[in-house]
Amino acid sequence: MARITAGVGSSHVPLLGVAADQGKDQDAYFKPIFDGYEWTRKWIADEAKPDVVILVYNDHASAFDMSIVPTFAIGCGERYAPADEGWGPRPVPDVIGHPDLAWHIAQSLILDEFDMTIINEMDVDHGLTVPLTMMYGAPEAWPVKVIPLAVNVVTYPPPSGNRCWALGEAIARAVNSFGEDLNVQIWGTGGMSHQLQGPRAGLINAEWDNRFMDGLVGDTQALRSIPHIEYLRETGSEGIEMVMWLIMRGALGKSTKCLHRHYHVPCSNTAIGHIVLEPVDGTVPPSPTLEGNNAAAQSAIS
Amino acid sequence: MSGYKDIHEYLDDFEDIPGTRVYTAARARQGYHLNQFAMSLMKPENRDRWKADERAYLDEWPMTEEQKQAVLDRDYNRLLDLGGNIYFLSKVFSTDGLSFVQAVSTMTGMSVEDYQAMMNAGGRSPKGVRSKREGN
Repeated sequence: MARITAGVGSSHVPLLGVAADQGKDQDAYFKPIFDGYEWTRKWIADEAKPDVVILVYNDHASAFDMSIVPTFAIGCGERYAPADEGWGPRPVPDVIGHPDLAWHIAQSLILDEFDMTIINEMDVDHGLTVPLTMMYGAPEAWPVKVIPLAVNVVTYPPPSGNRCWALGEAIARAVNSFGEDLNVQIWGTGGMSHQLQGPRAGLINAEWDNRFMDGLVGDTQALRSIPHIEYLRETGSEGIEMVMWLIMRGALGKSTKCLHRHYHVPCSNTAIGHIVLEPVDGTVPPSPTLEGNNAAAQSAIS
Repeated sequence: MSGYKDIHEYLDDFEDIPGTRVYTAARARQGYHLNQFAMSLMKPENRDRWKADERAYLDEWPMTEEQKQAVLDRDYNRLLDLGGNIYFLSKVFSTDGLSFVQAVSTMTGMSVEDYQAMMNAGGRSPKGVRSKREGN
């Protein structure tokens, strides 16, 4: 049986990719940021060793332009190349998918009434490759398979925090019903507070960000009811990316404990947040849907 | 919709945030060709043609004259008003060789140095810029 064994939250600021790629990660400006990931790098390489990461992120006008705007999209392809974001692709390995598990999750989610967009081919931008760099450094090949899960947090309205949390619960149900023994992690990326536009640009709210991280730990579900307007007012227009962390949190079930936590201001225009969580009680509610409880439908996709 | 009566109430709240243009459907419609033009600069061959003659390149797109002029002026606040979104517009300033900090600071009325100093000192406080109505 596949199992979700841990969740990771992390900012995905593009400048961190530039710093890593140009060997500047030990410069005075970047060192405190990269130091905050040292614990995780050791943990993931020596202890956690996931087979697959479900990597929740948003595309930043790279794979998607305004012609198609999927709210939730899941990558079911074999591999994904790093995107050319306007200054050439990052010199990092291709990201290798896990089509069997990805298709299983996609089918399960649709029966669970999450109407996913399926992606077979796309390039992946810094939203996906920067977290891999932060957690794994610069290997010849990424030592983990990745299922990209792209969320629209650019064109309003993005999905609500509550919907994201519920999607996480449905992802956990899907993973739990996959026959193969797999150690699966889920990462929620983006944030924390930042605003990249208008006269209010540069907004940072360390107090709010830290309260948000507090809310990911334990058995509280308070974060799922934060409205969009609160993210916008309190954490800047791009702080809304934090709803993606709630997909990760929802997938960890009833209660969590914190293994590691790090916060730093600034990186470029952004507050860096990073947290590693483990499920204490990974129970998620049963599917509320007709097909989610239909044995014939479920056996058809397993 | 978290306590809103309807989509209009939800959207009205966005206009209450000082110094911020939320990328709503209305802005996405208004700025569709502007943002698609910006996206076209992800291709090296398009960047070359753009750099050779910006005006001629812009004239290939069904954008308004105001939008074209704001692009030529690199007036990013104006571009947000005309339906631009910062992630798409970033293709324009990346082509100019500007970083996010350099480009973003032009919208704040601060010099790059002052903006960077503000970020290094912990960023802009939300105090006083949460709501026009509440003034908090």
